[in-house]
Amino acid sequence: MDSTPAAGLPGYSLVISGGLYSSQAPATALAFAKALVSTGHRIDRVFLYGEGVSLASALNTPPSDETDWTRAWQELLTDQDIPAFACIASALRRGLLNQQEADRYQRPAANLADGFVIAGLGEWVQALADSDRVIHFPGGA
Amino acid sequence: MTDSAVLVVIDQPPYGDWQGREALDMAFSLAAFDRPVALLFRGPGVNWLRPGQDAGPLGQKTVSRNLGAATIFGVEALYADTTSLAHFGLRDMEPPAETVSPDAAFYRSFSHVVQL
Repeated sequence: MDSTPAAGLPGYSLVISGGLYSSQAPATALAFAKALVSTGHRIDRVFLYGEGVSLASALNTPPSDETDWTRAWQELLTDQDIPAFACIASALRRGLLNQQEADRYQRPAANLADGFVIAGLGEWVQALADSDRVIHFPGGA
Repeated sequence: MTDSAVLVVIDQPPYGDWQGREALDMAFSLAAFDRPVALLFRGPGVNWLRPGQDAGPLGQKTVSRNLGAATIFGVEALYADTTSLAHFGLRDMEPPAETVSPDAAFYRSFSHVVQL
């Protein structure tokens, strides 16, 4: 996989709002992201929103003969140095917490997977401003 | 980035799930960052505008109250799809919205269209 973005090609941000096991969105978005990378496009950021935050749980434990989508995403994010954010309001509602939020709300554990950061909707607003293309993967995707 | 607005589409009824509320949060967030934003209610989503809602018995907040603050928070316009309003028998809207028959040109007039 060529990891060097070509100059002049549009930069992309991906928004995933479909849930991990209630939609195809995280898998479709991963295939799209890999296609972007393989054709030399830049991915500026990934933003998880609504049910999409389920992708970022370190506790997702699929059977060993199924794709581990969280791990597959983590590998791409790390390999390509792509920042990935989970919306804080969506995440906290659904029990996805980093250590700081677990401490703040006195919850017994943190479960945010490595490679993901909890952040506000401002990161999405910034994606709209920074990226040439913002591609949304909703629940029906 | 263009100066034209982002359109956030709400096409799910209130109270059935959290999609509409989270779409509204996106709109309010854009407004908070001084980005032009408009809301379109379409399909079952027009029921967000139904007058006289009381979500208390559901243990939820009444969405029309949040929505009433939209223009105060800087949402530029509320649109409601004419056909959907007729389908759901809605004549009055709370808060009031501009009725439109959204076609391709309508959607193209926005820089981004967001639908959860």
